[in-house]
Amino acid sequence: MTTSEKSGPIAPAETDYGTPRVAAADTARVTVDGREVEVPAGTSVLRAAAEAGIEIPKLCATDSLTAFGSCRLCLVEVEGAKGTPASCTTPCSDGMVVSTRTEQVQDLRRNVMELYLSDHPTDCDGCARGSCEMQKWARETGVAQVRYGLDGANHLHERTDESNPYFDYDPAACIVCSRCVRACSETQGTFALTVEGRGFDSRVSAGGTDFLHSECVSCGACVQACPTDALTERSVVQLGMPTRSVVTTCAYCGVGCSFKAEVQGSGADTRVVRMTPWKDGGANEGHSCVKGRFAYGYAGHEDRRLEPMVRASTDEEWRVVSWEEAIATVAEGFRRIQAEHGVGAVGGISSSRCTNEEVYVVQKMVRAAFGNNNVDTCARVCHSPTGYGLNHAFGTSAGTQDFRSVEQADVILLIGANPTDAHPVFGSRMKKRLRAGARIIVADPRRTDLVRSPHVEATHHLPVRPGTNVAFVNAMAHVIVSEGLLDEEFVRTRTEGADGYLEFIARPEHSPEATEDETGIPAGELRAAARLYAAGPNSAIYYGLGVTEHSQGSTMVMGMANLAMLTGNLGREGVGVNPLRGQNNVQGSCDMGSFPHELPGYRHVSRPEVRQVFESRWGVSIQPEPGLRIPNMFDAAIGGTFRGLYVQGEDIAQSDPNTQHVEAALRSMEMVVVQDLFLNETARFAHVFLPGTSFLEKDGTFTNAERRINRVRPVMPSRVGKDEWQVVCEVATAMGYPMSYASPAEIMDEIAATTPTFAGVSFARLDAEGSMQWPVTEAAPHGTPTMHVGKFVRGLGQLTPTVYVPTTERATRRFPLVLTTGRILSQYNVGAQTRRTPNSTWHPEDVLEIHPSDAELRGIRTGDVVELSSRVGATRLTALVSERMPAGVVYTTFHHPVTGANVVTTENSDWATNCPEYKVTAVQVTVATQASRARAGEAPEASATPVPAGAMARQRR
Amino acid sequence: MSTGEPPVVRLGHDLVRNFESLPREKAAEELATHIKKFWEPRMRHELLARIRRGDTDLHPLLVRAAEDLVDGDIDREEVREPSGG
Ligand code: SF4
Ligand code: SF4
Ligand code: FES
Repeated sequence: MTTSEKSGPIAPAETDYGTPRVAAADTARVTVDGREVEVPAGTSVLRAAAEAGIEIPKLCATDSLTAFGSCRLCLVEVEGAKGTPASCTTPCSDGMVVSTRTEQVQDLRRNVMELYLSDHPTDCDGCARGSCEMQKWARETGVAQVRYGLDGANHLHERTDESNPYFDYDPAACIVCSRCVRACSETQGTFALTVEGRGFDSRVSAGGTDFLHSECVSCGACVQACPTDALTERSVVQLGMPTRSVVTTCAYCGVGCSFKAEVQGSGADTRVVRMTPWKDGGANEGHSCVKGRFAYGYAGHEDRRLEPMVRASTDEEWRVVSWEEAIATVAEGFRRIQAEHGVGAVGGISSSRCTNEEVYVVQKMVRAAFGNNNVDTCARVCHSPTGYGLNHAFGTSAGTQDFRSVEQADVILLIGANPTDAHPVFGSRMKKRLRAGARIIVADPRRTDLVRSPHVEATHHLPVRPGTNVAFVNAMAHVIVSEGLLDEEFVRTRTEGADGYLEFIARPEHSPEATEDETGIPAGELRAAARLYAAGPNSAIYYGLGVTEHSQGSTMVMGMANLAMLTGNLGREGVGVNPLRGQNNVQGSCDMGSFPHELPGYRHVSRPEVRQVFESRWGVSIQPEPGLRIPNMFDAAIGGTFRGLYVQGEDIAQSDPNTQHVEAALRSMEMVVVQDLFLNETARFAHVFLPGTSFLEKDGTFTNAERRINRVRPVMPSRVGKDEWQVVCEVATAMGYPMSYASPAEIMDEIAATTPTFAGVSFARLDAEGSMQWPVTEAAPHGTPTMHVGKFVRGLGQLTPTVYVPTTERATRRFPLVLTTGRILSQYNVGAQTRRTPNSTWHPEDVLEIHPSDAELRGIRTGDVVELSSRVGATRLTALVSERMPAGVVYTTFHHPVTGANVVTTENSDWATNCPEYKVTAVQVTVATQASRARAGEAPEASATPVPAGAMARQRR
Repeated sequence: MSTGEPPVVRLGHDLVRNFESLPREKAAEELATHIKKFWEPRMRHELLARIRRGDTDLHPLLVRAAEDLVDGDIDREEVREPSGG
């Protein structure tokens, strides 16, 4: 019970059972201090006792880690057995009778505690951590005084390591239980910590340096595992312990980790003390990354705008106005544009950072109040090909598994994704599975951490050249088909289109040998990888934006679906085709009808029976024709037929490709409305600014990459006086279409009533179940962790010939290199949030990674400022010469606006969904003549400041 | 490479490249269906207007597919399933 005392009314108490849950069918019955308990066979005595409600003192054990048996505090007596075994490492056997508090064990425990306390500060009152387990056990064992005295040899004068911006390490308080070391290796998989020295001299060390300069990725798992005050959050040291807590969901990536927001104060005076990953969180099971755990400070950053503002033209200064005036300005502006230029001259963009309920009302406002289908969402620029491709193949626009499924995978095929950076908590899970023996094939131009890092070694690294994914996936399928490795039974009974597809893929032009020159993957390596994938027995595909953000993104998604169907790797645990979605609610924003051709639940607007559901409920008629996608909106704006845009929580001026084009489009509009936390790049072109709410203020739901609907609970009231969904409703109402809800729960009820896959979802059900994975229907009342079991949603899986069409964006003499992009752990997308936190300690600027031979040819050394140019624009970056890159390919991240990655990206896009081809841009790199390094000290900038060349990094998820 | 093409032409030609390996009639049908499902009416109208004007830069397959667009009605069977992306 480390936290129950501190838990407020909302977060229930968490019990530390001491050792992890054991999954076993057999059970053992044991008696602990006279209480009988039945546990899965193999469960430790320590855990069995905890389940029986008996807490055995312990220091080195905690239920997130394998038992270690070093502290000897958990000793017990077992009837008929000799000695006093450590209960954490003793498995239960049937009929065992255990005593936890005999005189003998109490004596032994007292000795152990005394020894520990002789080298531990005794100033318990002055200790920041109100939950120190030492104090608790000292009391329980009755050690009031230390017989050995504190003046013997001790470590009490060692200096605290304050290098990490978020937590301190005080060696004086360390008892060398190694919980932190084990958390870092077992839970996080980083292996940054070791115990150095022996006996009394042994100390926890971050690889011989301080935490900041070590391999540490600041996930905080060690801090959470530490039973004493040795590793403590800086915020706890500064603010003291929290007084209440609320369980909510991280607002960064698509993993969707559950957290306990631990706070002090109430109402508007609420202050977050720390975020602790929630053990019962379905997506994260008690783990988190540096963003979710520590980088929440942006919510209270001084750059946040808390008042509505308007201006007649973008040359004018902003004028703070009342909510009434701002909303009236928006409504009048949109109505006037529609009167002059037609109903279709305005539209809206919903945000993957907002809740399902907030997104739902935006698409409703567009469809019911604007009277058109001009609604799109930022998924357009990231995973729209996932929606298209998976739907085409399987009948659902979503991944097939839950995250836990990876624990059953034998072979992981990772394509165009870097989960240890972009989806860290899932990355840790994947690494854990690899350490347990699964094998991994990494298809990525870069040598990412999953190719090689401590305790991870990919069986195959396939350095696929950017833009040639489809040729690569076809070659994989070709090997499987031509070598007879396919699952014929699955293909015959579960798929259609097999004849045409098999004939297509068997053609010699798809062989690894024929495609080797194009893809850059040695044929022998590819054949071996294909055989490994086919051999499984459980093979799972995980992929990211390295798949989707291509001119053939949708084709590639279908190609991966083909691979899985050919080998029967669908419809059970451990397999599947799994998109690693970028933003916290990108899945949800798509589910909620944010696409211009679809109503909620991915149903085409042309279907009268679907429109009817909404028309009867909303009392309007809905346009049966698709509306404009984001890039179409820009084109129409430049063409003069589109003049008003409502942008919810997105920074399209920064995140969308070909900055010049986007800016020209925004400039040609008469009414741009930005609803956001900050005056972002897009706000430079806006006429109305409506302040938004941070996730700490939101009440609603997010849906993560595994279709898991998680509750987002308000930790504090809205700092801007209104909730975002409310503002949207008021705009619609002011436009003459009355829209109102009593609460977000009521919005979810409407979603459930209109959208079959959400039929069983309500806030009450979510609160009761913790979370649910859609579809939640009568047939699956608790949700659906694994999809397509026995039958695809569309009936039979669709095998589709995936013709490789090379992108038109090719390296040329003028632009001989290919630029591809990615992200790093500590920053998030365009960085609007993370740059406003100490996370920038790790990543103060974006760098351009370049292969040594490309660098040498150009006279570039690490640290040089280089000019990166494409056919559409140019920007400057600092070079990093790196063996991780293949020759001919350069790489950058896009977290800082000054980088301007989108100054160089082009208008090329996925043929099916218009998802921009961010991953392939032909570029040239040269040493910049006038090195301007002023930005090295770049502060978390006010994004409204116009920076040279439009200055856009771009946003992906 | 920057084609400098007007957006609807560029987007249309992206579709052509992805469907042209199919038999011609099938390719035209797929192309037309895609446009009906995903293109906003003003984009379809612009494409048709270019064809009527005899825009010579248009790929013949795009022109052929556009014939199917004249009535503008969507084949309900095609959109029976969820449509994604
Ligand atoms: S913060 Fe995470 S990565 Fe860093 S030492 Fe602790 S457990 Fe390891
Ligand atoms: S950013 Fe992603 S992995 Fe990190 S805590 Fe948030 S949801 Fe979890
Ligand atoms: S808790 Fe069992 S030996 Fe430490």
